[in-house]
Amino acid sequence: MHITEGVAPASVAAAGALLAAGGVALGLRAMKDEQIPRAALVASAIFVASLVIRLPLGPSSVHPVLNGLAGVLLGWAAMPAFLVALFLQALLFQFGGITTLGINTVTMGFPAVACYYLFSRRIRESKKGREAFLLGVAAGVTALTLSFVLWAGSLILSGKQLAIIVKLSLLPHLAIVTIEGIFTGFIVGFLARVYPKAFEMPHIIKTRSDP
Amino acid sequence: MNEKGNLLDIQGVSFRHTAQQPVLEDVNLTIRHGERVGLVGAIGSGKTTLLHMIVGLLKPNQGQVEILGQTRSSERDFWEVRERVGLLFQDPDDQLFCPTVQEDIAFGPLNQGKNREQTERAVRNALSLVGMEGYEDRITHHLSGGEKRLVSLATVLAMEPDVLLLDEPENGLDPVSHERIRSLLLSLPQAMIVVSHNVEFLASVTTRCLRVEDGKLKEIVV
Amino acid sequence: MSCTTHFSGHTVVHRLDPRPRVVATLVFAVLIALSGHYRVLCSGVAVGAFLAMLSKLPIRPLAKRLLRLNLFMVVLFLLIPTTSPGEPMFRLLSVPFSHDGVHLAAGITLKANAILLVFTSLLGTVELSSLGHAFHHLHMPAKLTHLFMFTLRYLDVLHHEYVTLLRTMKARAFRPAMSVHTYRTYGYLMGMLLVRSLVRSERIMAAMKCRGFRGEFHAYHHFHFHQRDAVFCLTSAIVLMLFAFVEWISGGVAR
Repeated sequence: MHITEGVAPASVAAAGALLAAGGVALGLRAMKDEQIPRAALVASAIFVASLVIRLPLGPSSVHPVLNGLAGVLLGWAAMPAFLVALFLQALLFQFGGITTLGINTVTMGFPAVACYYLFSRRIRESKKGREAFLLGVAAGVTALTLSFVLWAGSLILSGKQLAIIVKLSLLPHLAIVTIEGIFTGFIVGFLARVYPKAFEMPHIIKTRSDP
Repeated sequence: MNEKGNLLDIQGVSFRHTAQQPVLEDVNLTIRHGERVGLVGAIGSGKTTLLHMIVGLLKPNQGQVEILGQTRSSERDFWEVRERVGLLFQDPDDQLFCPTVQEDIAFGPLNQGKNREQTERAVRNALSLVGMEGYEDRITHHLSGGEKRLVSLATVLAMEPDVLLLDEPENGLDPVSHERIRSLLLSLPQAMIVVSHNVEFLASVTTRCLRVEDGKLKEIVV
Repeated sequence: MSCTTHFSGHTVVHRLDPRPRVVATLVFAVLIALSGHYRVLCSGVAVGAFLAMLSKLPIRPLAKRLLRLNLFMVVLFLLIPTTSPGEPMFRLLSVPFSHDGVHLAAGITLKANAILLVFTSLLGTVELSSLGHAFHHLHMPAKLTHLFMFTLRYLDVLHHEYVTLLRTMKARAFRPAMSVHTYRTYGYLMGMLLVRSLVRSERIMAAMKCRGFRGEFHAYHHFHFHQRDAVFCLTSAIVLMLFAFVEWISGGVAR
């Protein structure tokens, strides 16, 4: 769910860049120096997963996005984490692009942060694996749906004629969102059972850097 | 399958990671029913490579691999092999990936298409074989090194393989777990290839021993 | 096995200081994105092609990237002009292709290709850790630079772990299919990868503290500005100003 290089006109690209800069700045303020390895490792893991994991869907397959998971694990630090991951994807694999880096960071990052506020605490307090699984499904579905809305919005803002792309991708996205939800659910359920500490980032998730 | 036939017959197999120094060169190896072969050799000599080639995780540059009476070359050929030849990886952390012991052991049987009941039975049997009854709901990530090794072995045994490929099954274990693995291997009926640096251990669990050196296999006496 | 390889080489482009390359690429991308004139966009593609040749980008991977991008562009060309209203420019199999739609799709295609070529030639040829150092020297926020460097450092490690885990799963007869079993398996695989990553990040932090880390990173990598870098800066400045000038004299809406 990337906006490809060249698609966004200057106004949309600039607005995206500004919003992304604000979010990343908040994320950097929230992230303490000693939490950098953690944010980086989660970012790397998600980057690798979105690159190499292919979830079978009919005769084809889809790559996971995992921004809901990133949000639940990293809070505001998901913003800089996605900036880095998306920059590397543009550089190494030509997904997205350099002028659309801001828009794409907003598209991926803000839904992640929303998921942090909506689900992180509930997952931490969930007692059973099943509950965590369901919350994970909800996080995956919410994040990707929000991302779709932001993506569609920036496409339509970029040109009314581009709305056709949104229309055509609506149905495939329904399937993608469903699979992303199930996949995120299993990951969150796994973490809740095996390593509940994953959801306890007492400092990294605050917007204020002081404890 | 013909009981007298070879379980495994490798002829003239070579493998190289890159164009330079080959890891294995023109290797021949035959394993018959009930045979237990030990494999020694320096680190990086190609022992693990050989095991991975047998289950098709690595493909040889040259030579023929015949397993369970059929020549195997394509990925699809190895699907059946992997259901009947059990590979125990060197590092149990590479093998265990499910939250609980039970789920991890059930993974293989489920891939074989067993139903719920059969899978549950396979899990129970495998756990009792390795003497780990009651570990069903333990979190694999929290187990000790020795426990992880035994559970990995159980994940392999649960698939009821005809051949076992064991990559350093006793390495890095405390004396108690070490002895447990040794007596367990002695009690298993399967043909097996056991890789180890511990010659004494190999002498006690295998019927013959081979050394991997300069890309070749040589029969040795231990 | 690596998923973080850059286009290595020994051309003059590879030897340039990464810092001006970063700046030139960004300014170029912004100018091209802003542009609405074919002469600027075409010159942009030409500059990109020239840089690609100068840096001797390997043909196959470059072609793959261009193909991936332009496949999407073909879709745009088929979709946008046929669905947007307005004067038809031409008809293909009696389907009208609208004037505005064709121009929009053409503009996007040129922009995308120009930026891709320059981006890949100038930044795709920098070793990634040097890129991190360049960011540092260009005064990007320190935390962001460190996040970039750490992410980079662990990409290959995690990729390797993923491949290893997947291999052991294959050895246990795992074959992906459209089933809950497959999704669960991948979910657990990813979960395990994350647990190990998180545990590792704690070890990294501990090891860093043991070596005297007190919350501040010190950069020790420095770049040297050579004569060829000055030439590059001057040339890029002229080219970019030319682009801006042509854009300006060509006026507002005209193509």
